[in-house]
Amino acid sequence: MINHYVPTSLNDALKYLSTHDCYIMSGGTDLMVQKHVSSLVLPRFDKDVLYVGELKELQYIKEDKDGNILIGAETKYADLLLSPIVPEIYKTVIKEIASPNIRNMATMVGNIGNASPAGDSLVPLILNDAEVVLKSVNGERVLKVSEYILGVKKTARKNDEIIVEIRLLKQNLRYLYRKVGARKAESITKVSCLVGYQIKEKKLIDFRVAFGSVGVTIIRNLEIENKYKNIEVKDLDVDRVISDYYQLVTPIDDQRSNKEYRHKVAMNLLRKFLLELKGGIDE
Amino acid sequence: MLPNYKTSVKKVDNEDKMSGLAIFTGDIQMDGALFALPVRSTISYGKIKEIHVPTLPEGYYFISAKDIVKENVCNIIVSDWPVFADKETHYKGETMGLIIGPDKDVCIDLVNKTYADYEEYEPVYEMKNSYVHKEFKKGDPSLFNGAAKVYSEEFETGYQEQIYLETQAMLMYLDGDKITVKASMQCPFYIHKAICRTLGCKEDKVRVIQPAVGGAFGGKEHYPSLMAAQLATAIVKIKKPLFMCFDRHEDITFTTKRHPSKTNISAYLDKNNEIIGLKIHVGIDGGAYIGCSMVVLSRALIACTNTYTFANLEVSGDAYCTNKVPSAAYRGFGSPQSIFAIEMFMKHLAGFLRVDALEFRNKYLVKTGDITCTSGVFRDPIILKPLMDKAMEMSDYKRKREEYSKPGSLRGIGISTFLHGCGFTGSGESTIINAQLKIKKDKNGIVTFYTSQVDFGQGNRTTLKRIVVDTLGIPEDHVIYDAPDTDKTLSTGPTAASRTIIIVGGLCAKAAQHLKEIWVDGEEQEIVEPYVGPSYIKWDEDTMQGDAYPGYAWGVNIVEVEVDPVTYELSILGTWSTYDVGHAIDERILVGQADGGLAQALGWAYLENEVAENGVFKQTKMSDYVIPTSLDMPHMETAFIDNPFPYGAFGAKGAGELTFVGGAPALADALEQAIGKKVNKIPATPEFIMELMNDED
Amino acid sequence: MKINFKLNGSNVTVDVVPSKRLLDVLREDLHLTGTKEGCGEGECGACTVLVDNRPINSCIAPIANIANKEVITIEGFRETKAYRVIADAFADMGGSQCGFCTPGMILATYAVLRDNPHPTEEEARIALSGNLCRCTGYQAIVNAVLKASEKGIKL
Repeated sequence: MINHYVPTSLNDALKYLSTHDCYIMSGGTDLMVQKHVSSLVLPRFDKDVLYVGELKELQYIKEDKDGNILIGAETKYADLLLSPIVPEIYKTVIKEIASPNIRNMATMVGNIGNASPAGDSLVPLILNDAEVVLKSVNGERVLKVSEYILGVKKTARKNDEIIVEIRLLKQNLRYLYRKVGARKAESITKVSCLVGYQIKEKKLIDFRVAFGSVGVTIIRNLEIENKYKNIEVKDLDVDRVISDYYQLVTPIDDQRSNKEYRHKVAMNLLRKFLLELKGGIDE
Repeated sequence: MLPNYKTSVKKVDNEDKMSGLAIFTGDIQMDGALFALPVRSTISYGKIKEIHVPTLPEGYYFISAKDIVKENVCNIIVSDWPVFADKETHYKGETMGLIIGPDKDVCIDLVNKTYADYEEYEPVYEMKNSYVHKEFKKGDPSLFNGAAKVYSEEFETGYQEQIYLETQAMLMYLDGDKITVKASMQCPFYIHKAICRTLGCKEDKVRVIQPAVGGAFGGKEHYPSLMAAQLATAIVKIKKPLFMCFDRHEDITFTTKRHPSKTNISAYLDKNNEIIGLKIHVGIDGGAYIGCSMVVLSRALIACTNTYTFANLEVSGDAYCTNKVPSAAYRGFGSPQSIFAIEMFMKHLAGFLRVDALEFRNKYLVKTGDITCTSGVFRDPIILKPLMDKAMEMSDYKRKREEYSKPGSLRGIGISTFLHGCGFTGSGESTIINAQLKIKKDKNGIVTFYTSQVDFGQGNRTTLKRIVVDTLGIPEDHVIYDAPDTDKTLSTGPTAASRTIIIVGGLCAKAAQHLKEIWVDGEEQEIVEPYVGPSYIKWDEDTMQGDAYPGYAWGVNIVEVEVDPVTYELSILGTWSTYDVGHAIDERILVGQADGGLAQALGWAYLENEVAENGVFKQTKMSDYVIPTSLDMPHMETAFIDNPFPYGAFGAKGAGELTFVGGAPALADALEQAIGKKVNKIPATPEFIMELMNDED
Repeated sequence: MKINFKLNGSNVTVDVVPSKRLLDVLREDLHLTGTKEGCGEGECGACTVLVDNRPINSCIAPIANIANKEVITIEGFRETKAYRVIADAFADMGGSQCGFCTPGMILATYAVLRDNPHPTEEEARIALSGNLCRCTGYQAIVNAVLKASEKGIKL
């Protein structure tokens, strides 16, 4: 018998989690689709379900003294878009996620919890070293989103834990982003690319690249990034960077696209962004 | 002088549909209705040795071929599709039986536990086994032997799913001993016939009533007949109300779609590069059962020279049997496939001959009095030139075409001309359909009339009523025109083939005129008006010779696109269309048809990708089979040029399908200009555009 | 489990499993059939309702998430002045054909105009991009949004 629990507080939820291995339902926009069977039929869950989507204490957006943005896990995408303190790059990405209706329901934590390689918000989260705060009755720990996500649908969450907060650490980066889906709205990403960089006195003092939907999770490689840090921008060898990422990008064929397209477009986007980065040297 | 019918009137169903009051099939509340869920075969082709059904709880039923009352045949044009797969299954997902019961959740479990033992045969997924072949000639194709040059190409088009927003749904119940059906449908009398045929029952034992219908586009022309025959078999045993409604993934996976096609065209040229004639072969993938594929093939072949005329033709076509879901009706009914091919071919041929594509095409455009490809005659005034001029002016075509011809512009503007034959092929209206319209008046002067035309969004309930109101010259609220009910309505034929206004509209006008002529105040009067076709229509379906349609509607589409060289995505920047639909009745409704038809055509051309792999569709959800959103569609401009048709109501011709047939070639023409490559296949997805752009030919 | 919420201005309580879709609660338990199901996966927007004044897809909303909120469906919205303005604009511009997407489209239009009373054509297209229509090609619907915007929905 599947148990459904709607807690009235976070503590209440944590207690439930300490004794139940369960699905954690936020906005439901992914889980309700995954478990949907048919109209007029209840979704079929194979484990208990905990509904935390409307816990008010997990709905907030605030800034700490270091300029990091702290987001309560159950804050909806629509609220992130309305917030004056959420960094623009996140808004750019969120605006292209699903549809206005879905953005009124869905949360960023849902994207993180699902650990889908096509989760659009994971791309800026991982590129910006964002963190999640996990809580259980036994305490709290902080993980980078990149550490939290282990693979397709696999995460580092323990059964008694729940993500309570997302921390967007302050960054001084410029960004170049593009999502490619099947159509101009409401599309699941075929391939996406985000480049973050900082240029100071013509030197590339920070350089980061992330790809979505072209591997088992978001692709980011610190080793490659480090190779290009602190070089003169004019010395950035576009072909070399592309060849570094060439093997790392390992897309698949599916009902939405094919691996040739995904790979080629990932490289095209990277090339375009690198050229823009180099072109923007004098700004 | 015709009255001005261009102006629009309030649509009769607007308020109900906007306020949520309109009752669609799934909205009907009926106590005690049982859910009926299909049990589907799991192999593409083979012998069904035994079906294993789990023990059914009380109140649950399994209905299959064993329960067939008279004939295990679904009445479609060619009735080869069984109501329930019996000894064999011919495609994966074919219905072998129904699980029926009060709790849908329990039914789902029972369906999942029901399975069959099979002996598998080798399935065929490619177009190689023809089950319908047609051919005809015009002029003297033996002249091809003297050609100085031959130019040949092949064209391909893909599946298209209708994605009517309301999925297939049907409610069936007994009213006394009468089987009563309310369903999402196009053709009440098709359903009526299908039930009578499988049960072998009398016509007065079945009644079909139309509730609100949430879109159809051809997809609800034949498939509901199958559902009806299945439910009818069940209701005879169970005698309780039955409800069958498909979830979206089920609707996409198992119901009929537009035929994929492969068309080969060869042009035989003389030494002056004049076309001696064409040899054309159109192949369509009909799926496991013929159903209506022979008629789709017929329409594809009749349309194969589109708006052009050639002295000599050798035309043939095949519908191929494959072990996949049967293909059936979808807006355009075969003609979009062959019109895409000929439009692109004419353009490519001009390229091969190094002449201007538009001038080249114009040279072969049909004129009034020309002989059609089936050796009939284009009798009515043809105004293609003004249609083209107007569309070019609206779109600033010439300037843009010139500007985008610079290499690397990545923009293109394309044009297509096209036609669509209105009504059933040939003399079908008078020999097969035989529409009859009943109109009556009570003592108080209230007029009631009936048709079997379903309004699934086209606006015909409004327009047909208006035709009667205006002909009689009485107030609108003195005329009652309800949705079809086979107990009250004589058959005015199916809601298909762009026949509603040209044929049934004409019939409404004629009946109303007759009533007006015999009108006596204070008396009950009734008229049954039969359809009488134009006497000049002579058609032989076997030889495909004669006048294929009573009339033709014409159009021009111009589409402007841009291609992103980084992602190979295509954006549509604008569309401009002009149409000759005779005399336009209610321009607002017609613009709705025009924009909607073109949007579906553009979706088919570049966005909507349905691929079958091992006999099953890979895209089975609306997140995978994507249709255009409001952001994918551009601003659309549409204009009509008046050209009254003497046999339609107030000069009107058909418009429903016409608006679909030219979209794909116009888009492909624009795409070719943008990327400088030939586009012989649609949908032109970014994946395909990438291949084209990277192809160093 | 008993769940309370406000529906079209009145308090209602339903006793259902918390995972039950809001759409099914509306259609099956409360017999409000103006909200339609087109896809069951949050793609088409035919099931759009307003929850705390924001449009959502009721086909993927578990009823647990609706507890203590205010839901407005087309049945409630059609009683408002804003509905009249929008519905008249849809009628004038031919924004409704088969009508299956229309209740959702009208609620989505309300949400657009409330947040942005004078949208451009492009902004209207963005705002409606989660409500699919297969009949109109969208131009008539976009025209209706712009027309309703001219009149103002008078909130």
